[in-house]
Amino acid sequence: MLSLSQAAVEAIQAHGEAAYPNEGVGLLLGRANGTEKSAEAILPLANSWPADEQYHRYRVSGDEMLRAEREAARQGLDVLGFFHSHPDHPAEPSRFDHEWATWPWYSYVITTIERGRATVTRSWQLREDRGGFDEETVVLPAQAL
Amino acid sequence: MATIRIPTPLRPYTNSQAEISVAGDTVGAVLSDLTRQHPALRQHLYADNGELRAFVNVFLNEEDIRHIRGAETPVRAQDRLMIVPSIAGGTETVDHAALRTNQAAIITLLIAAFVANAWWLAAAVMLIMAYGTLRRQPGFRPLYAGLLKPRGWVRPDVLRDNSEPHIFAQGFGAVVLLGAVAALLANLPVLGWGLVWLVVALAALNLFVGFCAGCAVYYWLARLRLPGFVKAPPAGTFPGMRPRGS
Repeated sequence: MLSLSQAAVEAIQAHGEAAYPNEGVGLLLGRANGTEKSAEAILPLANSWPADEQYHRYRVSGDEMLRAEREAARQGLDVLGFFHSHPDHPAEPSRFDHEWATWPWYSYVITTIERGRATVTRSWQLREDRGGFDEETVVLPAQAL
Repeated sequence: MATIRIPTPLRPYTNSQAEISVAGDTVGAVLSDLTRQHPALRQHLYADNGELRAFVNVFLNEEDIRHIRGAETPVRAQDRLMIVPSIAGGTETVDHAALRTNQAAIITLLIAAFVANAWWLAAAVMLIMAYGTLRRQPGFRPLYAGLLKPRGWVRPDVLRDNSEPHIFAQGFGAVVLLGAVAALLANLPVLGWGLVWLVVALAALNLFVGFCAGCAVYYWLARLRLPGFVKAPPAGTFPGMRPRGS
Protein backbone atom coordinates (compact mmCIF):
# COMPACT_ATOMS: atom_id res chain seq x y z
CA MET A 1 0.00 0.00 0.00
CA LEU A 2 1.26 3.43 -0.94
CA SER A 3 0.14 6.51 0.87
CA LEU A 4 0.57 9.61 -1.25
CA SER A 5 -0.18 13.18 -0.24
CA GLN A 6 -2.35 15.30 -2.53
CA ALA A 7 0.64 17.61 -2.95
CA ALA A 8 2.81 14.68 -4.09
CA VAL A 9 0.17 13.56 -6.63
CA GLU A 10 -0.06 17.11 -7.94
CA ALA A 11 3.73 17.41 -8.17
CA ILE A 12 3.96 14.09 -10.04
CA GLN A 13 1.23 15.15 -12.47
CA ALA A 14 2.75 18.60 -13.00
CA HIS A 15 6.12 16.98 -13.72
CA GLY A 16 4.53 14.70 -16.35
CA GLU A 17 2.72 17.64 -17.94
CA ALA A 18 5.95 19.67 -18.10
CA ALA A 19 7.78 16.78 -19.75
CA TYR A 20 5.02 16.23 -22.38
CA PRO A 21 5.26 15.08 -25.18
CA ASN A 22 8.27 13.32 -23.65
CA GLU A 23 8.27 10.97 -20.69
CA GLY A 24 9.18 12.36 -17.28
CA VAL A 25 10.65 10.32 -14.44
CA GLY A 26 11.56 10.65 -10.78
CA LEU A 27 11.73 8.99 -7.38
CA LEU A 28 9.26 8.69 -4.52
CA LEU A 29 10.93 9.32 -1.17
CA GLY A 30 9.40 8.58 2.19
CA ARG A 31 9.17 6.15 5.06
CA ALA A 32 8.33 2.48 5.01
CA ASN A 33 7.01 0.04 7.56
CA GLY A 34 7.08 -3.38 5.97
CA THR A 35 4.84 -3.21 2.90
CA GLU A 36 3.22 0.07 3.99
CA LYS A 37 4.89 3.00 2.33
CA SER A 38 4.26 6.65 2.89
CA ALA A 39 5.68 9.08 0.32
CA GLU A 40 6.73 12.43 1.72
CA ALA A 41 8.67 13.95 -1.15
CA ILE A 42 9.35 13.48 -4.80
CA LEU A 43 12.70 13.82 -6.51
CA PRO A 44 12.44 14.56 -10.26
CA LEU A 45 15.30 13.06 -12.28
CA ALA A 46 16.73 13.73 -15.73
CA ASN A 47 15.69 11.34 -18.48
CA SER A 48 19.02 10.14 -19.91
CA TRP A 49 17.60 8.51 -23.04
CA PRO A 50 18.61 10.34 -26.30
CA ALA A 51 16.30 13.37 -26.65
CA ASP A 52 14.51 12.27 -29.78
CA GLU A 53 13.55 8.90 -28.23
CA GLN A 54 12.21 10.38 -25.00
CA TYR A 55 8.66 10.44 -26.35
CA HIS A 56 8.47 6.73 -25.45
CA ARG A 57 11.52 5.97 -23.30
CA TYR A 58 13.03 6.96 -19.97
CA ARG A 59 16.21 5.83 -18.29
CA VAL A 60 18.09 6.81 -15.12
CA SER A 61 21.64 5.51 -14.82
CA GLY A 62 23.10 3.71 -11.82
CA ASP A 63 25.36 6.68 -11.05
CA GLU A 64 22.38 9.04 -11.00
CA MET A 65 20.47 6.56 -8.80
CA LEU A 66 23.40 6.36 -6.38
CA ARG A 67 23.32 10.17 -6.07
CA ALA A 68 19.56 10.04 -5.53
CA GLU A 69 19.90 7.35 -2.85
CA ARG A 70 22.43 9.60 -1.07
CA GLU A 71 20.05 12.56 -1.30
CA ALA A 72 17.26 10.42 0.18
CA ALA A 73 19.53 9.27 3.01
CA ARG A 74 20.53 12.90 3.67
CA GLN A 75 16.84 13.72 4.16
CA GLY A 76 16.46 10.64 6.37
CA LEU A 77 14.13 9.05 3.81
CA ASP A 78 14.00 5.83 1.81
CA VAL A 79 13.51 5.37 -1.93
CA LEU A 80 9.99 3.89 -2.08
CA GLY A 81 9.70 3.64 -5.83
CA PHE A 82 9.55 5.56 -9.07
CA PHE A 83 7.12 7.61 -11.06
CA HIS A 84 7.03 8.12 -14.79
CA SER A 85 4.57 9.46 -17.34
CA HIS A 86 2.95 7.78 -20.35
CA PRO A 87 2.21 10.47 -22.95
CA ASP A 88 -1.14 9.60 -24.60
CA HIS A 89 -0.95 6.05 -23.30
CA PRO A 90 -2.76 4.12 -20.52
CA ALA A 91 -1.38 4.34 -16.96
CA GLU A 92 -0.44 0.66 -17.02
CA PRO A 93 3.00 -0.95 -17.20
CA SER A 94 3.98 -1.62 -20.82
CA ARG A 95 5.92 -4.66 -21.97
CA PHE A 96 9.00 -2.44 -22.01
CA ASP A 97 8.35 -1.39 -18.40
CA HIS A 98 8.15 -5.08 -17.49
CA GLU A 99 11.41 -5.91 -19.29
CA TRP A 100 13.15 -3.28 -17.18
CA ALA A 101 11.30 -3.87 -13.92
CA THR A 102 13.64 -3.94 -10.94
CA TRP A 103 12.32 -5.45 -7.71
CA PRO A 104 8.98 -6.22 -6.03
CA TRP A 105 8.05 -3.87 -3.14
CA TYR A 106 8.98 -0.73 -5.12
CA SER A 107 6.00 1.37 -6.25
CA TYR A 108 5.83 2.10 -9.98
CA VAL A 109 3.56 5.13 -10.26
CA ILE A 110 2.42 5.80 -13.83
CA THR A 111 0.53 8.89 -14.98
CA THR A 112 -1.29 9.23 -18.27
CA ILE A 113 -0.75 12.60 -19.91
CA GLU A 114 -3.40 13.17 -22.56
CA ARG A 115 -2.64 16.00 -24.97
CA GLY A 116 -0.56 17.68 -22.29
CA ARG A 117 -2.97 17.23 -19.35
CA ALA A 118 -2.54 14.62 -16.59
CA THR A 119 -5.64 12.43 -16.40
CA VAL A 120 -4.98 9.20 -14.46
CA THR A 121 -2.32 8.23 -11.90
CA ARG A 122 -2.02 4.60 -10.78
CA SER A 123 0.59 2.59 -8.89
CA TRP A 124 1.91 -0.89 -9.71
CA GLN A 125 4.16 -3.46 -8.10
CA LEU A 126 6.22 -6.22 -9.68
CA ARG A 127 5.02 -9.69 -8.68
CA GLU A 128 7.22 -11.85 -6.50
CA ASP A 129 7.83 -14.26 -9.42
CA ARG A 130 8.68 -11.28 -11.68
CA GLY A 131 5.97 -12.49 -14.09
CA GLY A 132 4.07 -9.19 -14.28
CA PHE A 133 2.71 -6.21 -12.38
CA ASP A 134 -0.25 -5.97 -9.99
CA GLU A 135 -1.97 -2.71 -9.17
CA GLU A 136 -1.08 -1.28 -5.78
CA THR A 137 -3.61 0.45 -3.57
CA VAL A 138 -2.92 4.19 -3.32
CA VAL A 139 -4.26 6.02 -0.31
CA LEU A 140 -4.51 9.77 -0.13
CA PRO A 141 -4.02 10.85 3.53
CA ALA A 142 -7.50 12.40 3.70
CA GLN A 143 -8.90 8.92 3.01
CA ALA A 144 -6.54 7.31 5.52
CA LEU A 145 -7.83 9.42 8.38
CA MET B 1 35.07 -9.46 5.77
CA ALA B 2 33.65 -6.88 3.35
CA THR B 3 30.19 -5.40 3.88
CA ILE B 4 27.33 -5.20 1.35
CA ARG B 5 24.55 -2.69 1.84
CA ILE B 6 21.17 -4.14 0.86
CA PRO B 7 18.60 -1.80 -0.72
CA THR B 8 15.23 -1.61 1.07
CA PRO B 9 13.25 -3.72 -1.47
CA LEU B 10 15.65 -6.64 -1.08
CA ARG B 11 15.59 -6.72 2.73
CA PRO B 12 12.58 -9.07 2.81
CA TYR B 13 15.01 -11.68 1.41
CA THR B 14 17.75 -11.00 4.00
CA ASN B 15 15.70 -11.30 7.21
CA SER B 16 15.45 -7.48 7.19
CA GLN B 17 19.23 -7.09 7.48
CA ALA B 18 20.43 -3.84 5.88
CA GLU B 19 24.13 -4.75 5.90
CA ILE B 20 25.63 -8.17 5.43
CA SER B 21 29.21 -9.34 5.95
CA VAL B 22 30.44 -11.36 3.01
CA ALA B 23 33.52 -13.50 2.38
CA GLY B 24 35.59 -13.50 -0.79
CA ASP B 25 38.41 -11.58 -2.46
CA THR B 26 36.64 -10.55 -5.67
CA VAL B 27 33.28 -8.90 -6.34
CA GLY B 28 32.09 -12.11 -8.01
CA ALA B 29 33.07 -14.16 -4.94
CA VAL B 30 31.40 -11.87 -2.39
CA LEU B 31 28.21 -11.76 -4.46
CA SER B 32 28.05 -15.53 -4.61
CA ASP B 33 28.65 -15.65 -0.86
CA LEU B 34 25.73 -13.22 -0.49
CA THR B 35 23.36 -15.41 -2.52
CA ARG B 36 24.66 -18.50 -0.68
CA GLN B 37 23.70 -16.88 2.64
CA HIS B 38 20.36 -15.61 1.24
CA PRO B 39 19.32 -17.78 -1.74
CA ALA B 40 16.02 -15.89 -2.25
CA LEU B 41 18.08 -12.92 -3.50
CA ARG B 42 19.37 -14.86 -6.47
CA GLN B 43 16.44 -14.41 -8.85
CA HIS B 44 16.33 -10.67 -8.16
CA LEU B 45 20.03 -10.14 -8.86
CA TYR B 46 20.80 -12.69 -11.57
CA ALA B 47 19.08 -13.43 -14.89
CA ASP B 48 18.42 -17.02 -16.00
CA ASN B 49 21.73 -17.05 -17.91
CA GLY B 50 23.67 -16.49 -14.66
CA GLU B 51 24.68 -12.91 -15.49
CA LEU B 52 23.84 -10.00 -13.18
CA ARG B 53 20.54 -8.48 -14.34
CA ALA B 54 21.06 -5.49 -16.65
CA PHE B 55 19.56 -3.02 -14.13
CA VAL B 56 21.70 -4.23 -11.19
CA ASN B 57 24.67 -1.96 -10.46
CA VAL B 58 27.27 -2.87 -7.88
CA PHE B 59 29.38 -0.07 -6.42
CA LEU B 60 32.62 -0.76 -4.59
CA ASN B 61 33.39 2.19 -2.32
CA GLU B 62 31.20 4.38 -4.57
CA GLU B 63 32.76 3.25 -7.85
CA ASP B 64 30.76 1.21 -10.38
CA ILE B 65 32.48 -2.18 -10.71
CA ARG B 66 31.82 -2.05 -14.48
CA HIS B 67 34.34 0.83 -14.58
CA ILE B 68 36.87 -1.26 -12.66
CA ARG B 69 37.24 -4.95 -13.47
CA GLY B 70 33.67 -6.18 -13.17
CA ALA B 71 33.28 -9.44 -11.26
CA GLU B 72 37.09 -9.79 -11.15
CA THR B 73 37.48 -6.53 -9.17
CA PRO B 74 39.51 -7.31 -6.00
CA VAL B 75 37.76 -6.79 -2.66
CA ARG B 76 39.52 -6.15 0.68
CA ALA B 77 38.15 -6.78 4.16
CA GLN B 78 37.39 -3.13 4.92
CA ASP B 79 35.58 -2.50 1.60
CA ARG B 80 31.93 -1.52 1.39
CA LEU B 81 29.71 -2.54 -1.51
CA MET B 82 26.33 -1.17 -2.53
CA ILE B 83 23.67 -2.61 -4.81
CA VAL B 84 21.76 0.10 -6.70
CA PRO B 85 19.21 -0.35 -9.51
CA SER B 86 19.17 1.72 -12.66
CA ILE B 87 15.68 2.25 -13.98
CA ALA B 88 14.19 2.40 -17.45
CA GLY B 89 10.84 2.00 -19.09
CA GLY B 90 8.42 3.55 -21.49
CA THR B 91 5.60 2.79 -23.83
CA GLU B 92 5.23 0.55 -26.86
CA THR B 93 4.92 3.39 -29.31
CA VAL B 94 6.58 4.31 -32.60
CA ASP B 95 6.83 7.71 -34.25
CA HIS B 96 5.50 6.89 -37.72
CA ALA B 97 6.60 10.29 -39.03
CA ALA B 98 10.22 9.10 -38.58
CA LEU B 99 9.39 5.90 -40.48
CA ARG B 100 7.73 7.79 -43.34
CA THR B 101 10.72 10.14 -43.61
CA ASN B 102 12.93 7.06 -43.87
CA GLN B 103 10.77 5.51 -46.59
CA ALA B 104 10.60 8.76 -48.58
CA ALA B 105 14.41 9.16 -48.44
CA ILE B 106 14.95 5.55 -49.52
CA ILE B 107 12.51 5.84 -52.45
CA THR B 108 13.94 9.18 -53.64
CA LEU B 109 17.58 8.15 -53.49
CA LEU B 110 17.01 4.72 -55.08
CA ILE B 111 15.07 6.23 -58.00
CA ALA B 112 17.88 8.79 -58.38
CA ALA B 113 20.39 5.90 -58.39
CA PHE B 114 18.42 4.18 -61.17
CA VAL B 115 18.09 7.34 -63.27
CA ALA B 116 21.79 8.18 -62.89
CA ASN B 117 22.77 4.51 -63.29
CA ALA B 118 24.81 4.93 -60.09
CA TRP B 119 25.31 1.62 -58.27
CA TRP B 120 27.28 3.43 -55.55
CA LEU B 121 24.22 5.48 -54.59
CA ALA B 122 22.20 2.27 -54.08
CA ALA B 123 25.15 0.95 -52.05
CA ALA B 124 25.13 4.11 -49.90
CA VAL B 125 21.39 3.69 -49.19
CA MET B 126 22.05 0.04 -48.32
CA LEU B 127 24.80 1.04 -45.85
CA ILE B 128 22.60 3.71 -44.20
CA MET B 129 19.76 1.18 -43.79
CA ALA B 130 22.15 -1.48 -42.44
CA TYR B 131 23.70 1.00 -39.99
CA GLY B 132 20.24 2.06 -38.81
CA THR B 133 19.24 -1.56 -38.34
CA LEU B 134 22.31 -2.19 -36.14
CA ARG B 135 21.47 0.96 -34.13
CA ARG B 136 17.81 -0.22 -33.97
CA GLN B 137 16.46 2.96 -35.54
CA PRO B 138 15.45 4.20 -39.00
CA GLY B 139 18.65 4.78 -40.99
CA PHE B 140 17.56 8.26 -42.08
CA ARG B 141 16.39 9.20 -38.59
CA PRO B 142 18.94 12.08 -38.31
CA LEU B 143 17.21 13.74 -41.28
CA TYR B 144 13.93 13.65 -39.33
CA ALA B 145 15.18 14.23 -35.78
CA GLY B 146 17.86 16.79 -36.69
CA LEU B 147 16.14 18.79 -39.43
CA LEU B 148 12.51 18.09 -40.35
CA LYS B 149 11.02 17.70 -36.85
CA PRO B 150 12.81 20.63 -35.11
CA ARG B 151 11.79 23.00 -37.94
CA GLY B 152 8.20 21.79 -37.78
CA TRP B 153 8.25 20.65 -41.44
CA VAL B 154 7.15 17.15 -40.42
CA ARG B 155 4.91 16.66 -37.39
CA PRO B 156 5.40 13.67 -35.06
CA ASP B 157 2.84 10.88 -35.47
CA VAL B 158 3.24 8.71 -32.37
CA LEU B 159 1.17 5.50 -32.54
CA ARG B 160 0.83 2.48 -30.27
CA ASP B 161 3.07 0.07 -32.12
CA ASN B 162 6.16 -2.15 -31.75
CA SER B 163 9.48 -0.87 -33.08
CA GLU B 164 11.08 -4.31 -33.64
CA PRO B 165 9.08 -5.29 -36.78
CA HIS B 166 9.97 -1.97 -38.44
CA ILE B 167 13.66 -2.48 -37.67
CA PHE B 168 13.40 -6.02 -39.05
CA ALA B 169 11.69 -4.69 -42.20
CA GLN B 170 14.51 -2.18 -42.75
CA GLY B 171 17.13 -4.92 -42.26
CA PHE B 172 15.27 -7.07 -44.77
CA GLY B 173 15.36 -4.17 -47.26
CA ALA B 174 19.11 -3.71 -46.67
CA VAL B 175 19.72 -7.39 -47.45
CA VAL B 176 17.75 -7.15 -50.72
CA LEU B 177 19.77 -4.02 -51.63
CA LEU B 178 23.00 -5.88 -50.85
CA GLY B 179 21.91 -8.47 -53.42
CA ALA B 180 21.06 -5.67 -55.85
CA VAL B 181 24.49 -4.02 -55.51
CA ALA B 182 26.22 -7.40 -55.88
CA ALA B 183 24.22 -8.07 -59.07
CA LEU B 184 25.05 -4.61 -60.48
CA LEU B 185 28.76 -5.13 -59.78
CA ALA B 186 28.55 -8.57 -61.40
CA ASN B 187 27.20 -6.86 -64.53
CA LEU B 188 23.66 -8.19 -64.11
CA PRO B 189 21.78 -4.88 -64.47
CA VAL B 190 18.30 -6.35 -64.97
CA LEU B 191 18.50 -8.39 -61.76
CA GLY B 192 20.25 -5.55 -59.88
CA TRP B 193 17.84 -2.76 -60.81
CA GLY B 194 14.93 -5.19 -60.47
CA LEU B 195 15.84 -5.75 -56.83
CA VAL B 196 16.29 -1.98 -56.33
CA TRP B 197 12.76 -1.43 -57.69
CA LEU B 198 11.47 -4.17 -55.38
CA VAL B 199 12.77 -2.17 -52.40
CA VAL B 200 11.28 1.03 -53.87
CA ALA B 201 7.91 -0.71 -54.35
CA LEU B 202 7.81 -2.11 -50.79
CA ALA B 203 8.83 1.25 -49.28
CA ALA B 204 6.13 2.97 -51.40
CA LEU B 205 3.51 0.40 -50.30
CA ASN B 206 4.41 1.32 -46.72
CA LEU B 207 4.54 5.10 -47.34
CA PHE B 208 1.34 5.44 -49.37
CA VAL B 209 -0.82 2.50 -48.26
CA GLY B 210 0.43 1.96 -44.71
CA PHE B 211 1.29 -1.69 -45.21
CA CYS B 212 4.74 -2.79 -43.98
CA ALA B 213 5.49 -6.10 -45.73
CA GLY B 214 8.61 -6.74 -43.64
CA CYS B 215 6.55 -6.21 -40.46
CA ALA B 216 4.00 -8.77 -41.70
CA VAL B 217 6.87 -11.25 -42.22
CA TYR B 218 8.09 -10.47 -38.69
CA TYR B 219 4.64 -11.18 -37.20
CA TRP B 220 4.32 -14.43 -39.17
CA LEU B 221 7.71 -15.57 -37.87
CA ALA B 222 6.60 -14.59 -34.35
CA ARG B 223 3.48 -16.74 -34.81
CA LEU B 224 5.80 -19.64 -35.68
CA ARG B 225 7.60 -18.90 -32.39
CA LEU B 226 10.95 -18.30 -34.07
CA PRO B 227 13.43 -17.26 -31.34
CA GLY B 228 13.86 -13.49 -31.14
CA PHE B 229 10.49 -12.77 -32.78
CA VAL B 230 8.34 -12.07 -29.72
CA LYS B 231 6.03 -9.15 -30.47
CA ALA B 232 2.39 -9.53 -31.53
CA PRO B 233 0.62 -6.93 -33.68
CA PRO B 234 -1.06 -4.08 -31.73
CA ALA B 235 -4.63 -5.00 -30.73
CA GLY B 236 -7.12 -4.74 -33.59
CA THR B 237 -4.45 -4.30 -36.26
CA PHE B 238 -3.90 -6.63 -39.24
CA PRO B 239 -0.24 -7.84 -39.15
CA GLY B 240 1.86 -5.28 -41.01
CA MET B 241 -0.83 -2.58 -41.30
CA ARG B 242 -0.23 0.82 -39.71
CA PRO B 243 -2.13 1.02 -36.39
CA ARG B 244 -4.96 3.54 -36.22
CA GLY B 245 -4.27 6.76 -34.28
CA SER B 246 -5.11 6.79 -30.59
